[in-house]
Amino acid sequence: MASAATLMLALAYPARAETQLYGFNVEGEFDLGGRIYIERPPPEERSIFEQYRDLPEAPFGAFRFRLFRPDESYSLDLGGYNIGQKDQAYFLSTGRLGLWNFDFEWDQIPHTLSTDARSLYTEPSVGVFSLPSPRPPLSAYNLAPFQDVRTEWDVARFSVTVTPTLDLDLKADYTLTRKNGNRPLSMAFGSPGNNFAEFIQPIDQTIHDFRLRASYAGEGWRLQGSYALSIFRNGLDSLTAANPCFGLQAPAPPAGCGADATGAPASGRLSVAPNNIAHTISLAGAVILPLRTQLSANVSYSLRMQDDNFLPHTNNAALASSPSLVLPRSSLDGIVQTVLFNLNAVSRPLAPLTLTAKYRLYDLIDDSKELVFPGHVINDRSLVNEPRVNGQWGYLKQNAELDGRWRFGEPVALTAGGGWERWDRDEHREVPTSNEYFGKAALDVTPVDWFLGRLTYIPSFRRISEYNTEAHLQHSVVEEDPSSLAGQGQSVLLRKFDEGDRDRQRVDLMLQFTPIETLTISPIGGYRYDDYINSPLGLQKVETWTAGLDIGWSPSEWLSFSIGYEYEFVESRQQSRSREQTGTTIFDFADFTWTSKNVDRIQTVYAGIRATLIPKVLDWTVDLAYSSANGQVNTSNPTKPTSGTLAQQTSATAKPFPSADDSLIRLGTAIRYAFAKRWTATLAYAFEKFEGTDFRTDGLNPFVPGVTSIWLGSDARDYTAQYVTLGLSYRFD
Amino acid sequence: MAGPAVRMRDVGSALGAILLAFLFLGLASCGQSSRVARPAQPIPAPAEAYAGSEACQQCHKEEFRKFGATKMGRRFLHQPQDQREALACENCHGPAAAHIDSGGKKNTGGLISFMKGDRTPTEQRTAICLGCHEKNARFFWEGSSHEARDVTCTNCHHVHENLSPRHQLAKRDEIQTCGQCHAEKRAQQWRISRHPLLEGKMSCSSCHNPHGTVTPQLLKENSVNETCYTCHAEKRGPFLWEHAPVTESCTNCHQPHGSNHEAMLKVTKPRLCQQCHIETRHPTRPYGNDLASKKFVLGRACNSCHVNIHGSNHPSGFAFTR
Repeated sequence: MASAATLMLALAYPARAETQLYGFNVEGEFDLGGRIYIERPPPEERSIFEQYRDLPEAPFGAFRFRLFRPDESYSLDLGGYNIGQKDQAYFLSTGRLGLWNFDFEWDQIPHTLSTDARSLYTEPSVGVFSLPSPRPPLSAYNLAPFQDVRTEWDVARFSVTVTPTLDLDLKADYTLTRKNGNRPLSMAFGSPGNNFAEFIQPIDQTIHDFRLRASYAGEGWRLQGSYALSIFRNGLDSLTAANPCFGLQAPAPPAGCGADATGAPASGRLSVAPNNIAHTISLAGAVILPLRTQLSANVSYSLRMQDDNFLPHTNNAALASSPSLVLPRSSLDGIVQTVLFNLNAVSRPLAPLTLTAKYRLYDLIDDSKELVFPGHVINDRSLVNEPRVNGQWGYLKQNAELDGRWRFGEPVALTAGGGWERWDRDEHREVPTSNEYFGKAALDVTPVDWFLGRLTYIPSFRRISEYNTEAHLQHSVVEEDPSSLAGQGQSVLLRKFDEGDRDRQRVDLMLQFTPIETLTISPIGGYRYDDYINSPLGLQKVETWTAGLDIGWSPSEWLSFSIGYEYEFVESRQQSRSREQTGTTIFDFADFTWTSKNVDRIQTVYAGIRATLIPKVLDWTVDLAYSSANGQVNTSNPTKPTSGTLAQQTSATAKPFPSADDSLIRLGTAIRYAFAKRWTATLAYAFEKFEGTDFRTDGLNPFVPGVTSIWLGSDARDYTAQYVTLGLSYRFD
Repeated sequence: MAGPAVRMRDVGSALGAILLAFLFLGLASCGQSSRVARPAQPIPAPAEAYAGSEACQQCHKEEFRKFGATKMGRRFLHQPQDQREALACENCHGPAAAHIDSGGKKNTGGLISFMKGDRTPTEQRTAICLGCHEKNARFFWEGSSHEARDVTCTNCHHVHENLSPRHQLAKRDEIQTCGQCHAEKRAQQWRISRHPLLEGKMSCSSCHNPHGTVTPQLLKENSVNETCYTCHAEKRGPFLWEHAPVTESCTNCHQPHGSNHEAMLKVTKPRLCQQCHIETRHPTRPYGNDLASKKFVLGRACNSCHVNIHGSNHPSGFAFTR
């Protein structure tokens, strides 16, 4: 079946129009097809198969036609594809060539998250999830029927472009995005670390995105201004779900909740993403200066606002009336401003020399209200009279870069330079200031027509001013004695990877050989090494390397082959420590340290054949893609835990973490036969196979004996699919 | 609040104002300069140097036919907006009379062929396109990462023919076009957890503008997060309780080009969370596949309880559990 791409491409070579309609020429194509399965995955095995598409065993269609004046002054393009499916799309484009254009698109994007979720929850009203009373035994959840968890996006785009003069473009865009459906969510009801339940939450969200832009190019200068308005609206105010452990005191696990039922709330309530709005205004300019220099700058200001009413602390009537749960304000009055400033200068004072200087400033200013909450509720279950205050998380990020490029004749160009990145964060984060310096060397070589080489090396070094482990807690837990914070906070040995000292090495290589005009061979490679120095605990290093080879060969106009292979290796090594606490006593034993080496190895292969068996009559295509991934989490203790109690030693001892694998193969082949001047028949065959192993989801039941939590039991199941597509196209011009 | 961040803001704002003033001063005083960084047009030539597109058609019939089906071809051949566009082939390739007089062989007559073997400097070839296309998406081309490495328009665009449904790309779609150099990104689209690029519902240009932007990664918006918020506006907030690394960059946790971990995460949970959380109140244990670990590892792991990990607006949501 023709996708939009193939359909539009097929129409890219129109014979001159002959069909006339009210003074317009008409050309176009209609497709009608159907899909027949040789082997179709059962519904509960389609979560990967139908991840972002709809493949029913049903007819479907596509069309596109174009009306245009014989002098091409006015035209109208109209089309659609996957018609009748849940991933259908339509477009319309019309305009006066060179003066104005109007575009419209409507696109449906399904997103299947799971096809084998199981839940006993019902939703008597939107956002409220109930369970029978008395609660069923936990084992009953495993008998619930399969349900789909699927979100559907409907995206409508409108765009008007006007070019009143060749120097000036005006553009207005509006995009409406509607998200409907559901997704998995969960809610905790127990004391921290104890029972929770997954359920399927509804999605009812709308995004309005409106943009205006004017762009002007004068003789030696340019100016561009824009305004963007983004509005997010959530159709839900909150989510309420019943606690499966409420009243389920006995029998104890595996069938019941045991201790988790003691003091359990009947239900809990979650907040959802609040409505918000953002305005952004930008002004950019560029000017040509002497010495073949161009200076360009951009200033952008954005204002984000959110002022939805807070929910009460809890829906638990036994706690809700506590004086410490009185809200200091009814809403946040959240305001975040961002300022972006860019200045770029490019100069070519000498023919072989290019100098580039860049400066960038991005300032995120969090002006939301700081509110002190005298108390809070844990999981709608227990009241804690500990004052807390929300934080402001502004930061200022600055980048500067300077480099020079010298061209040694046409064949060789060498770039050398350096740069700097600085972060200044508000005082609630661990690192107030960091500076990262980097060097850059790039070599581009084209000594002969048939060879291109690009090599890039970028080393960088990030250094921080200080690391205050308790910065977050000192701020958020009001009136807490800093000396007691260690008991409830992070290890002082931790250095968070996004803030801490880091040495980075990065090398990229791309080669392209074209020994003959019809053959291209492109090996590529890349290496990146991040070393988080001065980091006793936390992320230690990340090593990534990639290697690949692409070959494209077109021995004749009627035949072409392509094949590619890509290998990616990612290893991140982290170090942590199992730190137990009993009352106010902290057990921080060095032999409770553990390390984890997380390794991902991914291979991807793709190949294609395009052959014209009989010119203008019979075409044959083959497309193959194969991807295989292996993920390992190798966790170990550098030394055997011997401190503390036996129970603590058991907790601190690294457990096996079985590897996760997945592989996906997609093979498609099609024959396209033009059996008459305007008629084409297509016969296509597709084979797909997915296999995955992951101990965290394979065969996962909602209820796992010995655990008082309830999952949906979703699993990305293996599937095999084979189907044949028959299509008939009529083309007119 | 006072602190180094505020001071830096003041410095930055002052610097910004000075530089902006400098820009517009330069704009006002130097706008008419004849010494430009790039020539706005092909080298001027006398009228007799031009042969007219009909002459080109005599030998390049097939190319002419294909070009005529493109948007640019329709405009040049049927609705030229000025004398320059009316030159059609010679508007981009330069005056062709010398080429014809020399017998019409390859690389003769000083034509700019834009093909392999054309020794016309990259910046001169690019300048020909920018002569008409310097506004809008190309506004920040100069100094962009592609421009800086001598990537030119015809590396990605096939001007003569509609090989792609839109934008006259050099390959059949954006993924193939960008994948010529960014092969690892092209491969990542095949990961189990990904955006809908394979289905044509998104493309590289959904997030990136390859012609240059105000971000180093050529993102279309002002930052990584603002790019993500275009479609995921529910994560924009501001929230009562913000998760600081989320505020700074979505890519602290996510790999947007595709991942073999759920939700396009860079590392599997709970290890991802444990890279930054080594606490006592929530003991950071080396969870595995034993019974005691299950509720922290199975399903959505940490997010089973910490559901609103991108930020919470709940008064009791400081740990993102509500």
